[in-house]
Amino acid sequence: MAQPQVPVTVLTGYLGAGKTTLLNRILSEQHGKKYAVIVNEFGELGVDNDLVVNADEEVFEMNNGCICCTVRGDLIRIIEGLMKRKDKFDGILVETTGLADPGPVAQTFFTDDDVKARTRLDAIVTVVDAKHFLGQLEQGDEAEEQVAFADVILLNKTDLVSEDELKKVEDKIHSINRYARIHRTQKSRIELDAILDKGAFDLKRILEFEPDFLHHGHDHDHGDEVASLSFSSERPVDPDKFQKWMGALLQLKGQDILRSKGILAIDGAPKRYVYQGVHMMMDADWGTPWKDGEKRSSKLVFIGRNLDGENLKRGFEDCLK
Amino acid sequence: MSKLDLGNPEWRSQLPPSRKVAADAPVAACAFGRDGKTVAFALGDGRVRLLPADVKATEGAAPEPVHNGAVLSLIADPNGDGFLSGGDDGRLLRIAPDGSTTEVANQKGKWIDKLAAHRSNGSFAASVGKMALVVDKAGGCREFGPHQSTVAAIDFSKDGSRIATAHYGGITVWSIGQVTLPPRKFAWAGSHVALKWSTDGKFIATGTQENDIHVWRIAQASDMRMQGYPAKVKSLSWSADARWLYTSSQPVFTAWPFAGKGPEGKPPLQFGDEGAGLITVVAAHPAAEFVAGGYDSGELQLGDIKSRRSVVLKLSDGSAVSALAWSPDGLQLAAGNDNGDLLVVDLRR
Repeated sequence: MAQPQVPVTVLTGYLGAGKTTLLNRILSEQHGKKYAVIVNEFGELGVDNDLVVNADEEVFEMNNGCICCTVRGDLIRIIEGLMKRKDKFDGILVETTGLADPGPVAQTFFTDDDVKARTRLDAIVTVVDAKHFLGQLEQGDEAEEQVAFADVILLNKTDLVSEDELKKVEDKIHSINRYARIHRTQKSRIELDAILDKGAFDLKRILEFEPDFLHHGHDHDHGDEVASLSFSSERPVDPDKFQKWMGALLQLKGQDILRSKGILAIDGAPKRYVYQGVHMMMDADWGTPWKDGEKRSSKLVFIGRNLDGENLKRGFEDCLK
Repeated sequence: MSKLDLGNPEWRSQLPPSRKVAADAPVAACAFGRDGKTVAFALGDGRVRLLPADVKATEGAAPEPVHNGAVLSLIADPNGDGFLSGGDDGRLLRIAPDGSTTEVANQKGKWIDKLAAHRSNGSFAASVGKMALVVDKAGGCREFGPHQSTVAAIDFSKDGSRIATAHYGGITVWSIGQVTLPPRKFAWAGSHVALKWSTDGKFIATGTQENDIHVWRIAQASDMRMQGYPAKVKSLSWSADARWLYTSSQPVFTAWPFAGKGPEGKPPLQFGDEGAGLITVVAAHPAAEFVAGGYDSGELQLGDIKSRRSVVLKLSDGSAVSALAWSPDGLQLAAGNDNGDLLVVDLRR
C-alpha cells in the first residue's frame, strides 16, 4: 500500500549559528503539525511534546567502489524505526552537528530504497552566522560546504553587523551558491513556510529554485574554494549526448561537484526535462510541459570545487543541436 | 512432522484455520512463548498484544501500551513462558503471559531495537546503541562494546558461550563466559544490517546495506559473499539442521546450500510460487524441512524444500508482512503486517 512520503528537512549550520534556536522555535510555535526531530546534542532542546531522537552521526561508505557514496547509517536505522510508529509525522527535522558535511545526509535520500520509499528530502536549510561566517571560512571546509549544499539560507544575527558587512557576507554566499534563497534573520526568527515543505528536491518544483543569474559575485580565480557556475542556452538539447556527458562528468568529478541541477529543453519533447544530483548520485524526470509560444531554454547549475568553467561550457555546448 | 504435508490436496485447495485480529498499528515482531500457549505481537503504538495460540480460544481484550512509543523488538523469554520487549523509549520489559510487566533495563534516549535469546541457557542479549547488553539466567547484566557504530543485529552461538554483533565494517564475536577473552572482529567493508548464527554454530551470515549477503566460516575465518539481490536482505533464517540458509528479498524461497563443502560456486536453491512480490520475512521451521515466507504484497507461503513446493497460507492484501514466528512445536505460525493485522495460522490437520 503506497504510504505518503514524509518530508525531511535537514538543518545545518556552523557551531553557534543558531540551529538549536531555530529548532526550538519550530517546535514551540503553534502550527498544529507533528514533527520528529533527530538531533545530535541531546538535552539542548527545551521541548518535549514532540519526538526527539538522539543520533550519533554515523557516516558509512557504501561498499560499492564509489568513494564519494557515503550515507548516514544512523538515519537509515532511525527512519526505519520511526516508520514502525503508529502515529505518523507531518515531517522529520534532522539537525546535523556544526562541523558536519551535509553530503552524506543528502545522499542517504538518493541511495537507500527503504528511506526513499517512506520519506523525501524536502530541503537543506543552513543557518549562517552573519558575524562569524567569513572567519569560519578560514577554519576549514565545513562552513563553505554547508552553504554550498543549502536550498535555503538563514543569514542570522544580522543585528550584530553593519549593512556593509552584511552585503559582504551575502556576496560571499552568492559566490559559493547561487541557488539558495537567503533570508536575513535575527535570533533565527522566520516564517516556517519559508523553510518547511519547500520541495527543493522535488523535480516537479525545481523551477521555483532558479539560480540567481543576475547576481555577479567576485569573478576572481576561486581555486580550491567552492563556487557555482551556471550555463544556459536556447538551442535544444540532444538527450543521448547529454546523458553520456553528464554520466561521465559525475563519474569523474562527482567528488568535487557537490550539487548539480538542470532544466532542459530536449529536442522535440513537449515537457521540460529536469534533473538534480548530489555528488555522483542523480535523479531525473520529465517536468511541466512547455506552454505554447514559450521560449524554450535550458539551464544548468553546478556547485562545487575546482570547476573548470571552460570545459563544462564546451561539454554542455556539445550536447546542443 | 507428518502432520504438515504439502502434497495433501486439501492443503492446496483451502486456507488453513486461522485467527485474525486488527490491531491498527504496524507490527515490528511476533513470538510464541516457550510453552507454546501464548503468542505476542510488538506494535507501533507501544502495546504488546498477547493472544492464545489456540485459534479457537477467546482472544481477550486489547491491552494498554507498555512502551512510550513504538515497540521495536520482541522475543520469547528464555526463563519463562512470557516475553521480552524493547522499545524506542529505551526500556526493556519482561512481560508475563498474563500481560503484567517488569522493567529489566531503562536507557532513556536510546533504542532497544534488537533482542536475541539462547535456546537453553536462559541468557538473552539486547542492542542498545553502540553497546550489546547480555543478561544471564540469574539476572546478571554485562555490557559489550562500544562498537564502532550502532549495533544493527545480534545473535547467540549454538553453545551460548558467545554472541555476535553486526555493525559498520563487519561483525564482532564476543565471548560472554566468565573468562574474559578479547573480542574477535571479522571485517567486511560496508554496513551489516542483519545477522544470524547458523544452527550448528559454524557460520555467521549477515545482510548488507549493498543488497548482498556475507557469510563467515568462524573456525577458518574465511568468508563468502552472495550478490544479486534487488533489495537489502533484512531477514535470514537457518534451517534446523543447518543445511540451508534461507534469505528474504527474492520473489521465491531462496536457500543457500551449506551441507558438505558449502555454497561456494553453487547457485541457491529456489522454489515456490512466483508472482506475490518480494519476500520480506523468512522463518525456517524449528525442526523439519519447511520454511515460511511473508511477502511485501501480504501473501504468506509455506514452502517444503524436499518437494520444492509451496502452498499459500494467506492471500495478499497489499500490506507487507513484517513479522513471522513459528510455535515451538512447529504446528502454528504467527504473522503480522504493516497495517497491524495479526494472524495466527493453525497448521494441524
